[in-house]
Amino acid sequence: MEELVSLRGIVKRFPGVVANDNVDFSLRKGEIHALLGENGAGKTTLMNILYGLYRPDSGEIFIEGRRVKIESPRDAIKLGIGMVHQNFKLIPSHTVLENIILGLKEVGLIINYKAIGEKIKQLAESYGWRINPSAYVWQLTAGEKQQVELLKLLYRDAKILILDEPTSVLTPQECKILFQALRRMANEGKGVIFITHKLDEVFAISDRVTVMRRGKVVFLKETSKTNMSELAQYMVGRPVIFTIEKKEVQPSEEVMVIKNLKAFNDKGVLALKGVNLTVMKNEIVGIIGVTGNGQQELVEVISGLRKATEGSILIDGVNIVNNSPEKIIKLGVAFIPPEPLKYGIIPNLTIADNLFMKAYRYKPYSNGVLINWKTIYEKSEELVKAFQIVSPSLSAQARSLSGGNLQRLILARELSGLIGERIPRLIVAAYPTKGLDIGATEFVHKTLIEYSRRGSGILIVSEDVEEALMVCDRVAVMHDGKIVSVFKPGELDIEKIGLMMAGVEIAST
Amino acid sequence: MAKLLAIPYTVKIQKRTYITRKVSISITFLSLILAFLVVGLIFIFMGINPVDVYYHITMVFSSPTLLFESFKRAIPIGLAALGLSIAFRMNFWNIGAEGQMYMGMFASTGIVLLHLYYGLIPDYLVMFLMMLAAFITGGLWCSLPAFLKIKMKVNEILTTLMMNYVAMYFVDFLIYGPWRDPKGYGFPLSAPFPDYAKLVMLLGEFAYTGLLLLSLTAALVYVILKYTKLGFELKIVGESIDTARYAGINLSKVITLGGFLSGGVAGLGGLTIVSGIIGRLRPRASPGYGYTAIIVVLLSSLNPWLIIPVSIFFGGLFVAGDILQAALKIPGAAVEICQASIFLFIIVGEFIKRYRIMIVQKGGIE
Ligand SMILES: Nc1ncnc2c1ncn2[C@@H]1O[C@H](COP(=O)(O)OP(=O)(O)OP(=O)(O)O)[C@@H](O)[C@H]1O
Ligand SMILES: [Mg+2]
Repeated sequence: MEELVSLRGIVKRFPGVVANDNVDFSLRKGEIHALLGENGAGKTTLMNILYGLYRPDSGEIFIEGRRVKIESPRDAIKLGIGMVHQNFKLIPSHTVLENIILGLKEVGLIINYKAIGEKIKQLAESYGWRINPSAYVWQLTAGEKQQVELLKLLYRDAKILILDEPTSVLTPQECKILFQALRRMANEGKGVIFITHKLDEVFAISDRVTVMRRGKVVFLKETSKTNMSELAQYMVGRPVIFTIEKKEVQPSEEVMVIKNLKAFNDKGVLALKGVNLTVMKNEIVGIIGVTGNGQQELVEVISGLRKATEGSILIDGVNIVNNSPEKIIKLGVAFIPPEPLKYGIIPNLTIADNLFMKAYRYKPYSNGVLINWKTIYEKSEELVKAFQIVSPSLSAQARSLSGGNLQRLILARELSGLIGERIPRLIVAAYPTKGLDIGATEFVHKTLIEYSRRGSGILIVSEDVEEALMVCDRVAVMHDGKIVSVFKPGELDIEKIGLMMAGVEIAST
Repeated sequence: MAKLLAIPYTVKIQKRTYITRKVSISITFLSLILAFLVVGLIFIFMGINPVDVYYHITMVFSSPTLLFESFKRAIPIGLAALGLSIAFRMNFWNIGAEGQMYMGMFASTGIVLLHLYYGLIPDYLVMFLMMLAAFITGGLWCSLPAFLKIKMKVNEILTTLMMNYVAMYFVDFLIYGPWRDPKGYGFPLSAPFPDYAKLVMLLGEFAYTGLLLLSLTAALVYVILKYTKLGFELKIVGESIDTARYAGINLSKVITLGGFLSGGVAGLGGLTIVSGIIGRLRPRASPGYGYTAIIVVLLSSLNPWLIIPVSIFFGGLFVAGDILQAALKIPGAAVEICQASIFLFIIVGEFIKRYRIMIVQKGGIE
């Protein structure tokens, strides 16, 4: 079979780590190649090299058998390479069409919107997508945004497609659509590199699988000739348990009661249309739904970042609607935000700074005026160990962390009970395992369950229905700014849940 | 598409992620050397021997009296720059140090004049009161734009810049009007300051109290930025307002307070002009120290300690300008052109430090 890409002996060093240590990788024509590995294994770095964002310290790149030098994404695009990044890079205030032609030289000065729009539409339809080229990106769901990212590559005639953790924000339905499209692309002779942490996806979609560990390739096989536990073994270096134990606890008192909550989104459209929900002590409540149905607005209102226009949120009986984040934090509300880079992390500051950007103002980390850096550094040392954050040092910039390690940093800050030296009263966690490898996901699930059993009330927002059913005590489906159904795991089957999420089925409960 | 003249190279500008100290210092020195070469060329065109010019400039930094004069000019520049380092830390683009200095001059002179007329407090307390007044007035002059920024999203670059002119003309008005010295033969000058209202020499010239004031303030700013809660908050606000809000930081408080400190320190700088350099208030008492401070603080990459030597260098350039006008009869405008070219080269150097300019071979098939 013809080789589209061949990377040979790629080495990339960053201060303190060898992110890629003599890596060989190949992609064939018509193949979907899964790239697996723990957080920080070097997957994104390798793909950034192929896409021209980083230059390798040594090694060679061959595209269709010819040796090439890729100095920039522009060169990569010219060679037919396209990449969808771990965090989407579309401009929300532009239309689909504008995003797709952005940066295209060939378009020229006079843009024929109609012809281009027609072409985009046809392209989308050929993959079974329904995309309106003149819709604004902010109006799209995560799945549709993904489609636009892919259309952008297809429009440029990319034949080598790199997708960095494309499914971490998709619902099962959206995943299915994506997989169908990817298969079609492969059948057309394109090659797809698919980075993921979810093993079932590897088996659902890929032809071959490469596993990276600590910068090296440790495994390469046809997918049909391997199995889950073998892959897990190579990724983590130990067997992984896929189910978790949940001790039964009787939820006793109400931690948070939300009544008739209404709020607008950034565009001034009513996004919460009267939300009612209760979270008890010792209980994990999951909110599932297609992104953009008000989940983000809901968690922002709870954490004080967004104003509500009506309704109330009682936390231990105190109404906190429209209070300052400072006050809400002090009540013991931990918040794992939906998009780490939007406000969860400051890339330019150190790991210690990021760990303590909330707790710095409380004892013993500061007194009246002065910050107690010694205590902060000692505690940071502990947290980095406990949450297994892989980093060169505490004073390294957060930007040098891999996607999954950034998420661990946020978890360490929010869950470790730095404020008031006690576990959080309420944990609001939006997509808490987004981008985490299987080991870390297992760790987060266990931690959340442990905290709930020790007395926290927990609200999880997730797109991963299976995760929600596995971890939560109760699950609420959110659609169009409302909670449309609340049930216990096991009460409803997956099909029905999917329909409710899509707004097709109206709940009977 | 026929590409007949395909050039295989392109120029790319890229933000640097990090830069070693050695490279950074080399770039600064290189841009300074280039600047002086270009200045030399300008003088050659004007028919002046550049060697004479260089000689006079090096004199400034070798003769004790002139060096001391440079120190004196360095104090207001350095204090203004220290103030700016606080504002810039929180991404508040205060370009109003000039105006905040004028407000500091106004306040300290006001105290002196009040004391001259009414004599309410013992003389040795006057200096202390002047400092307090200069700090508060300069601080308020800057916390207003800070407050407007956070409450009404008014762009601080515009407000701070415009308030420079308000402050400058306000001082003009006072000196041409009510504060003109009745014994001053009609010149637009305030009454001269008595000795207790001047920055004195404690132990010979090098223990000039101004230098002491500058060093102490630098130490204080360093401690505030590095070891206090406010310093940490300023840093987070400077990186991302959204994250600061998420972390529960009280934005109005931090930005207004940061603005107050920034303007306050610049206000102290104003005091050192009237009390240290001139000994009274006159219109246009600052030849643009507040603007020079912007370059100083960028050149020092917001580091309070670096600000001291860098301001002494710039103080020296101001003195050199005066000397060149007097000794070589070079017109003032020419001197300003030279100063501006030096500034320009430094700014280009700073740009190169932050961005990588690369001439790269176009990629593709080898
Ligand atoms: N710009 C950078 N500066 C310094 N170190 C970096 C940089 N980018 C990545 N690294 C380091 O290189 C290693 C590999 O990171 P990479 O992002 O490739 O991991 P990954 O396999 O994509 O992980 P994840 O699953 O968490 O996204 C990590 O240790 C990371 O800290
Ligand atoms: Mg990654």
